[in-house]
Amino acid sequence: MIKFTLNGKTEETNAPATTRLLDLLRDDFELIGTKEGCGEGECGACSVFVNNLLQNSCLIPIGSIAGAEIQTIEGILETKKFKILDESYSDAGGVQCGYCIPGMIMASAALLSKNPHPSKAEIREGISGNLCRCTGYNMIVDAINQAAKKGDGIW
Amino acid sequence: MVEKMTATYRFDRLEQTLSQLNREDCLIMAGGTDIMVLHKSGRGVPLKLPKPLIFIDHLSELKQVFQNHKDIHIGACCTYSELLEHPLIPVSLKNAIKTIAAPAIRNRGTLGGNICNASPAGDTLPLLYVYNAKLLLRSVTGDRIVEISDFIQGPRRVQRYQNEILAEIILPSVLEEGAYVVFEKVGNRNADAIAKVGFAGYIRINEARIEDVRFAFGAVGPTMVRSIDIERKLVGKTIPLADADIVQVVAGFDKIIRPIDDQRSTATYRKTVALNLLRYFLSMKQYQAN
Ligand SMILES: Cc1cc2nc3c(=O)[nH]c(=O)nc-3n(C[C@H](O)[C@H](O)[C@H](O)COP(=O)(O)OP(=O)(O)OC[C@H]3O[C@@H](n4cnc5c(N)ncnc54)[C@H](O)[C@@H]3O)c2cc1C
Ligand code: FES
Ligand code: FES
Repeated sequence: MIKFTLNGKTEETNAPATTRLLDLLRDDFELIGTKEGCGEGECGACSVFVNNLLQNSCLIPIGSIAGAEIQTIEGILETKKFKILDESYSDAGGVQCGYCIPGMIMASAALLSKNPHPSKAEIREGISGNLCRCTGYNMIVDAINQAAKKGDGIW
Repeated sequence: MVEKMTATYRFDRLEQTLSQLNREDCLIMAGGTDIMVLHKSGRGVPLKLPKPLIFIDHLSELKQVFQNHKDIHIGACCTYSELLEHPLIPVSLKNAIKTIAAPAIRNRGTLGGNICNASPAGDTLPLLYVYNAKLLLRSVTGDRIVEISDFIQGPRRVQRYQNEILAEIILPSVLEEGAYVVFEKVGNRNADAIAKVGFAGYIRINEARIEDVRFAFGAVGPTMVRSIDIERKLVGKTIPLADADIVQVVAGFDKIIRPIDDQRSTATYRKTVALNLLRYFLSMKQYQAN
């Protein structure tokens, strides 16, 4: 039995310890905002927070998250930070097919929490583990830049 | 048919972990960023592993960084992000770490994992070689210390006994003043790329004379390429180096660097870039200690 916190609630599971956190979230908890792209750490579609740190859930066997605090995109939907990112992504035209977006939002939030006033280069570094097949990234960089300005003081 | 599930262990203390390793051969998992890719099983299928799995990433005994006289000791399970924030970690090592993967991987991947994975392209390895890093291996029977160049034997091959854990990476005399140390990585793009060539250079100068100099190349052979013989020939020479000396050193490495072609690059490209990085390092007019 593995116990952990998921989006603020205490949870437990009997799934094998070698199950990927990504599969546990999607299949057992039906949190399908977290996506699978590559399954090997390259694309960031599966990004979640583990103890407030951005991590790729496809690379985490659940045996290692005993006692940890997990947050998925669903867990931040009601926050002010998410609302600002949501608006900024829409305004900047940063969303096309949307597949990469939950992971991008998690990476954006992680970046801004650490560095509330990032330069363009720092923004690109912050999302360097997240692939987007549609936008060409410029609109995403603009979106994060806008979110930094709009949310000044809350990150 | 029901498949047997992989046994997994996660003990609270290092001591218990070492006892288990002494009883049973296990696959040690730190951040898992190499293991999970190597044993990728696909959607919805728990990993299939050749051995029982033992988690060590949470063990606080393996996450300390401290100074002992002039040496720095780094816990094997410190993640890259933790090292980037630690005041004792040398700037050159931080610069190398910044070239590794992307934030999410750096929040999980460990220095110990990079060493034990022993990839020819492991980005911390060239620097650890020029620092003359020593590794502290711990088991139920005690500690032993080995040179990193003796520990790493080939791609994914290290000289570790079944009951041992890499506990600490020791950077000897790194706090001695006056050394200039650099790491250069050439990859496909700035972030999130595996190295085509890595180069680390170390030089200590006293009144324009070279007291100590070391070079290591990554991704151009099965392990890091270093030559104590070539390095010794430069000791005592004055800076800036004469062209003839530079030519001689470059020619020396030209003979011993034997890269391969693979999906990331060609042997010719790798060798050219490696020697250019070396030539550039040797041609500098001055070396500011860092
Ligand atoms: C998307 C992606 C990008 C990457 N980019 C880079 C890059 O740019 N540069 C680079 O160098 N690497 C890169 N890597 C590889 C990897 O992240 C690093 O090698 C990392 O340092 C591995 O650490 P880990 O803790 O995750 O290792 P793990 O996967 O946990 O372990 C790796 C190996 O070391 C053994 N091991 C780990 N710790 C110990 C210990 N303390 N004692 C004994 N054995 C141990 C394990 O048994 C295993 O064989 C990348 C990986 C991914 C997935
Ligand atoms: S699915 Fe995890 S990084 Fe691509
Ligand atoms: S919007 Fe389609 S992958 Fe990014």
